[in-house]
Amino acid sequence: MSTATRGKGAMFSAYRFIPGSSLYVLAGLAVVAAALAFLVKDKFYLHVLIMMLFYAAVSSAWNIVGGFAGQLSLGHAAFFGIGAYTSTLLFIDLGISPWIGMLIGAALATLVSGAIGYPSFRLRGPFFTLVTIAFAEVLRILTIYAHDFTKGSIGISVPFRPAVGNFIFRQFSVYAYVALAFLVITVLVSLWIESSRLGYYLAALREDEDAAQALGIDTARYKLVAVLVSAFLTALAGTFYAQYIFYIEPFQTFSLDFSILLAMMAIIGGIGTVWGPVAGAFLVTPLQEVLQAKLGGGLQGLHLVVYGTVLIVVVILLPQGIVPSLAGWGKRAFGRREARPAPSLKGDP
Amino acid sequence: MGVILAQVAVSGILLGGVYALISIGLTLIFGVLRVINFAHGEFLMIAMYASFWLFSLYGLDPYGSMVFVVALLFLVGLIIQFLVIRPILKASASMQIAATVGLSTLLQNLALVTMTANYRSVDTPLSKAVVSAGPLLLGVSRLLAFLVALAITGLLFLFLQRTYLGKAIRCTAQDRTAALLMGINIDRVYLVTFAIGSALVGVAGALLTPLYPVFPTVGAYFVLVAFVVVVLGGLGNLTGALLGGFIIGLVEAFSGFYVPELKEAVYFVVFIIVLLIRPTGLFGVVGAEEVGLK
Repeated sequence: MSTATRGKGAMFSAYRFIPGSSLYVLAGLAVVAAALAFLVKDKFYLHVLIMMLFYAAVSSAWNIVGGFAGQLSLGHAAFFGIGAYTSTLLFIDLGISPWIGMLIGAALATLVSGAIGYPSFRLRGPFFTLVTIAFAEVLRILTIYAHDFTKGSIGISVPFRPAVGNFIFRQFSVYAYVALAFLVITVLVSLWIESSRLGYYLAALREDEDAAQALGIDTARYKLVAVLVSAFLTALAGTFYAQYIFYIEPFQTFSLDFSILLAMMAIIGGIGTVWGPVAGAFLVTPLQEVLQAKLGGGLQGLHLVVYGTVLIVVVILLPQGIVPSLAGWGKRAFGRREARPAPSLKGDP
Repeated sequence: MGVILAQVAVSGILLGGVYALISIGLTLIFGVLRVINFAHGEFLMIAMYASFWLFSLYGLDPYGSMVFVVALLFLVGLIIQFLVIRPILKASASMQIAATVGLSTLLQNLALVTMTANYRSVDTPLSKAVVSAGPLLLGVSRLLAFLVALAITGLLFLFLQRTYLGKAIRCTAQDRTAALLMGINIDRVYLVTFAIGSALVGVAGALLTPLYPVFPTVGAYFVLVAFVVVVLGGLGNLTGALLGGFIIGLVEAFSGFYVPELKEAVYFVVFIIVLLIRPTGLFGVVGAEEVGLK
């Protein structure tokens, strides 16, 4: 994407510079995560770290369309699944490196997202959410149906052939660095969008679509750009998941629960903010992994009971999410004026 | 061949009656409160578990215990409306969806933790019984589910048309502010409507228990069908939900007959096409989603 002028305005040209403070936070986060990946030798804790970085990246990718554009998609598992299946099938059937397969999968997911997004974006609120669910379900059913090609419900195992070119690493910590790289890229894209004209257009249409249109913003076009970027990044994560877990199957990769989890993390942390999904994923993932590992199969689902409760409580008591609420309290406590209002999630009366 | 097709059509219509009953509660709640309850399927799951336990612990037939199940679901509706729905009535659509999705996750996994993932089913003499009508065979439970669904929908219509509370509910659906000015206690109307919507899904749960096994995610399956039905009929449109139920029942029966593996995909595709071409539903007037209960 270039900063070239297109149409009425330069969509991607920076309206403001990305605030330096955000870049410092990102750099600090990257250093801490890389240090942890280097120091932690325990395989379980390393796995928790990898999952935290992974979910932070996917939830941030979801947030570009779900948060910035305010279009609550519950069908992102579709893009995730396309990414995972494309790279894995290309790798197993044709021997194409998953690194290349990842880009092909992401391109395919972007195409599909355009095809889904373009007609769907005229639907609002719950109608949009329902159509995204339906699209992901159809993709899941088709994946099961085309079993000669996708192995159907049995799923596909990725053979363990460690090599950098195969996106398979003998050393566990390398996955953490790769996941960290995904997270850094996604956060940079988010910061870039937030500070570009595109981010302002998206904020405008999120707050009041009719008003944004009246001001001459081509809302359909900017929503489409948001979903294309979001789908591309989500599909990248799909390939990472397949290469890290070594196994994909339709019920997991295309599941509504996965889409819900992404939205849940972003909402708990702070929907429509750059750091909300990251914070949400960092809070929620360790709980999930630890509860699953410690309780084993005995009380499976307990972490989701906690998530569901936390989500309801956050929506009712802290509708802006944890990060903006904390930032608001901090600013009030230290008497600094807010540089920019946090995204409002107040609806129409 | 003609007999087989007629048999498929009949089972589709009978199935549609059950879908309609699940959907009417959902569409009633949407029409009045303007909230889509994503946890509606979990209410169905609760009803089915209640029906199952009343059968296996006390030997009560699901049809006999329906009164208790409906009362329980009415109560569940009151509690959920008070704790979860009321605080989010003024929130944005996204936040309303998030809260009810959270509720769905919570209830589904609470069932998983307490009831395990095992499939449980009720086996009564009626659940396998079949009557024949000419060359066609009708499952007794399915026939009962269909007839009760029709009767309940009729009663709901009478209630909404004839009683004071019913009129207050319709009035609130049409215009909140005007209803408030006319002295209607909107808060109470919301409370009662949500509880009635839940009680309706309680009826559906009791009727489904002899037909389908109960497990924690059973609601997730039916709620997706219910969304399809409700949108097809026009959100907030009760007659539409009834007709939508029959249409989806027929679509499911025939696609199950011709392309069994793609059965679900077929009605999701129908759903997507309807949403994209006529988001107000097949029987809706353009802009009807703004108007409310009909």
